[in-house]
Amino acid sequence: MIEEPQTRAEKIGRTADHAMPLELRGITIRYDGGGGEPLVVAEDFDLGLEAGTMHCLAGRSGSGKTSILTVAAGLTLPTSGEVFWQGDSLDAMSDDEISDRRRALIGYVDQGGALIDGMSALENVLLPAVPDKQVEARTEMAKDLLDLVGLGRRMRHRPAQLSGGERQRVAIARALILGTKVLVVDEPTASLDREHANQIIGILKDTTKDGIAVLVATHDQELINVADSRTLMN
Amino acid sequence: MLLSVFIQDRAQSSLGRVVDTNSRGLYDILVLPAGKGGEGQTLKQPDYLSGAGGITNEQLEEIRNLAGIGVAAPVSLVSKVVQDIEFPQLKATDYVGYNENIATYLEQQNIKDAVPASEWPEPDSVLSEEPKNYRITAKAVTSDGVNDTVLFETAAEGSLGQAKLKEFDVPGGKSLRTVAPEGETGIKFPDPAGGSSHGDFDVTIALPMLPQISETVVAVDPAAEQALLGDAGGFLAPLAEAPGAAGRNAMEVGQEFSGKMTPGLFSGGTGSAEIDGHPFAFWSPFVMQYQSAMEAGSLTEDSQVIPLVVRSGTALDLTYSVQIEEIDDAGNKVADIGTVSKALGEEYLPFASTKPFQLRWPGGEDYNNLLGSGGVQVVAGLHQPASWSTDFVSTPEYAAGAANPDGSVEQTVTPQGWVQVNKLPEKTLQWQLEPDQSQRQPVNEQSYRTNLDGAGDAAAPLPFVYGTFDANAVRDAAGDVNYLPLGGYDPTPVKLTQDADGNAVEPVELQPGLSGAGLSVQSAGAITDYSGLAAVRGTSAEDAVIDAVRVKVDAGGSWADAAGEIDAAAAAIEKLGLDVQVVAGSAREDASIYVPEYRQDASGAASDLGTVSQSWFRQGAASAVQTSLSQASSVLLMLTLGGAALLTAASTVAFTRARRTEAVTLRAMGWNRTRIRSWFLSELLVGAAGLLLVAIIVNAFSRSLTTLLVSAVVLVIYLAASFTSAALLKPHPPAIDGQPGATGVPLVDSPLKFAARQLRTNRFNTGAVAVGVGVLGAAAGALVAVILDLPRAAGSTALGSLALSQVGGVNVALAVLGVATALVLTLITSRFDLARKRAQWDILEAMGWGPGLLLALRRSEAGILAAMALPLAIVGAVGVSLAVAPHAAFRAAIAGVLAVILWFILMTRTRK
Repeated sequence: MIEEPQTRAEKIGRTADHAMPLELRGITIRYDGGGGEPLVVAEDFDLGLEAGTMHCLAGRSGSGKTSILTVAAGLTLPTSGEVFWQGDSLDAMSDDEISDRRRALIGYVDQGGALIDGMSALENVLLPAVPDKQVEARTEMAKDLLDLVGLGRRMRHRPAQLSGGERQRVAIARALILGTKVLVVDEPTASLDREHANQIIGILKDTTKDGIAVLVATHDQELINVADSRTLMN
Repeated sequence: MLLSVFIQDRAQSSLGRVVDTNSRGLYDILVLPAGKGGEGQTLKQPDYLSGAGGITNEQLEEIRNLAGIGVAAPVSLVSKVVQDIEFPQLKATDYVGYNENIATYLEQQNIKDAVPASEWPEPDSVLSEEPKNYRITAKAVTSDGVNDTVLFETAAEGSLGQAKLKEFDVPGGKSLRTVAPEGETGIKFPDPAGGSSHGDFDVTIALPMLPQISETVVAVDPAAEQALLGDAGGFLAPLAEAPGAAGRNAMEVGQEFSGKMTPGLFSGGTGSAEIDGHPFAFWSPFVMQYQSAMEAGSLTEDSQVIPLVVRSGTALDLTYSVQIEEIDDAGNKVADIGTVSKALGEEYLPFASTKPFQLRWPGGEDYNNLLGSGGVQVVAGLHQPASWSTDFVSTPEYAAGAANPDGSVEQTVTPQGWVQVNKLPEKTLQWQLEPDQSQRQPVNEQSYRTNLDGAGDAAAPLPFVYGTFDANAVRDAAGDVNYLPLGGYDPTPVKLTQDADGNAVEPVELQPGLSGAGLSVQSAGAITDYSGLAAVRGTSAEDAVIDAVRVKVDAGGSWADAAGEIDAAAAAIEKLGLDVQVVAGSAREDASIYVPEYRQDASGAASDLGTVSQSWFRQGAASAVQTSLSQASSVLLMLTLGGAALLTAASTVAFTRARRTEAVTLRAMGWNRTRIRSWFLSELLVGAAGLLLVAIIVNAFSRSLTTLLVSAVVLVIYLAASFTSAALLKPHPPAIDGQPGATGVPLVDSPLKFAARQLRTNRFNTGAVAVGVGVLGAAAGALVAVILDLPRAAGSTALGSLALSQVGGVNVALAVLGVATALVLTLITSRFDLARKRAQWDILEAMGWGPGLLLALRRSEAGILAAMALPLAIVGAVGVSLAVAPHAAFRAAIAGVLAVILWFILMTRTRK
């Protein structure tokens, strides 16, 4: 893997910076090869993500971008290495603590913007507020966010009634509903036409202006270009 | 499903074997006099001998001459016999040492096995040289198993001391005698008991008589009875060898044996074979009885010898105890010598005794064995001839109450009146004394049997014992499961199970009373032949003296195999004007009998005993057990198969939704609808081929029509579900779920609402799973109901219990298999939607829903489904239960609910 100077470990000094909302140290991700050679998708990977910046993981399909994102979001554990959220290592947290911290800190948007069938766009956006019983309190904010992503008139529509780009935007709105500090986004423009892709890119860029750090995996050159820093995954 | 059929088929085979093996007893048909068969009742009491007869010898011969009759064995109640049991004796060691009298006795008796003179010990005695005063208290206690009754407690006082050898001058020489010490008064109980006397070895104190007890005698045809009993009838061989009626004149036989009686054979019992090869046993007491009867003038020229095979021992609980105290002149106790006791049953034989009823003074040694075989003494007067009564003890009368769910019927026995027992004989034959009856307190026993008028006058008979029988061994021969009472001489015990207030008690076997007329009676005391019956009752060959005939049909195999021959024989016998009960296929059933007016208190008020249990027999038990258990097993199978088939069909159809996604992909690849359906069908047909292979294997083992039919039905159900599933495979485009959601719909703000929304959105799968879980609950409840109902289906007979023990486990396994199959199928159906759910859980987890919240979500989903399924489970379980086992409906509902809860637990334990 080739890293650009801005994102190298030396620059962040390998020390947990409490100002950094997300930091990955020495992350190695290795999958069992099913009897053959193990598949190493990341090795000794470091990353420090500043607030209000967008970092892009670029590379072709299968290069390990999604694996890094799920590790960064605390959804899977790395083979080795540590993940820090606002300076706190996930190693010291229980599953419940990770879930609680993720809800407060991380907004995760997976590839394709997976939504829950049978629920309207508004309800999908509000799902992260359920555990803290904040649904009612966040309803107006959810509507605002849907307005923000251009779906104010589609908030009662269900996933099956939305296009791919619309579902992606709903997913981004859902990721932002709890005042997220880090937005982790996987291939947000992969299946979109240019027009819709540019809308998503605009939304992501705008979020950084609010001090939100964005970690995005993509092979969309437009998106790579607008990122503040980037890592090219082999 | 095929495995279920296979298991059920094996259970049916096992049931058939158990029933066939255990439902044909010693005889097939019980023939009773007309009107005595208890028409309409299938539960029969074991006491069917009335003593009144009703069947003639001619009818017996007609039965025997019918085609297909193997054995026709008659049986009758002959008589009730009152016996005065022996005078008990207390023996105190008072051995005077070897002397001339002993030497003379040994020489005269030609006793070779006595201890040589030089080895005889020095004199020994438990008594003092100078007489001392003693008080001896004799006490007899009897127990019916529940209560003890003191029959008498009598004391006598006097002095006893060591005997002396003293020479007396007699004409022609001197005589050595054993005499009491000077000043001894001896000890004498009230008449008819004798006093005390000294011998060479002991001083003997005659004790108060034991109370009179009653025995019954039955008559059989020894040859036919042996044929009926097979190996178990060996004890009747001596009776079969008895001389005919012409050779039984009592005076002639008595004179013959009195003449042959030598001192060496005086002991009786073991010397029987030495008397002209006759099969007599215990003959010498009867020679003495003959002599007593002759002295009393009771025997006449017409008196007959009655050949008997007598019962060994007695079930009568009668304990005789003697307390010995040394006292001073004023009657105050100086020392307690001790108490000794003996139970009647230890050495008792009806009509005879092998040994006198003796108790031994504590501390002494019995030196009689120094005489060898000459030391066994039978004291004259111990054996009183029995008093033969012409009052016959009939069968008890019962009133049937309400029927229980298992088919058993509560009975109440009818009291017939109080009988006074514990009396002394009117006079003893030996001394012709009339004893003071006031020395005994009379005791009343309730009789549950009616005394019938006897037959004609008969000369006093003289019993001769030809052998003994073990009543319990005969009872065993009568069978346990296929119990068929032989009639009077195989005991049918009764056990107290509940007190008069209906409280359960530890089962206690009731003992017979002194009168022989209580509810609990032991085996007849003796068995004789029909010539013996005629001699006792003075009947002729034309009189209808036979109480019952037990018929064994000449056909082998099980009750079912021989049913045709048995029914034909029964019909032919019925044409003779007799009552016929087909007992092949009967089984023992423990009848519960309420016993009223059992005891009297001091004021004469009667109190009930409670409920006793006694072995009766149920006609048609084999057929009933086989039918009802087969039905129960079939219901189980049908429930198992029905539930499994329904769930299989539901699973197959429910899988359609998942397959539609694949169909869309295939359609996009250019496959047309026909080809897509063919592809799915071919996959399902592979399953059908596997099913067919299993069916062929199971049918090869089973070889029954049921298995074949079920195999075919299962295949049809599977194929129908497959074709339905294929027909539903219309490759829909991604669904557009109608109109946008209404603005008024409440927002999802909890796992429960999330679950409810998801279940509503996926109605097809939700419905399939809810129905599946409901069917699971209904099947579990119904299966439990049938299992709970098995004891009722088996009935209350021993055959039912045995059959249930053999096939109950298989049926339970069948039910468990049914529930397990239903559960697995339900879980499979529930998991068809698992991939979609897992995707949802991933999304929710990424949004920060923790493990606890996701578990709550799973529980909410399963809980809603369970709540939807519960009404179906309960209604289904109760509905089926009401049809097959109404009394288990509530428990079926509980089982249905539990099955749903089990499914809920398993579903929520699913880990991602």
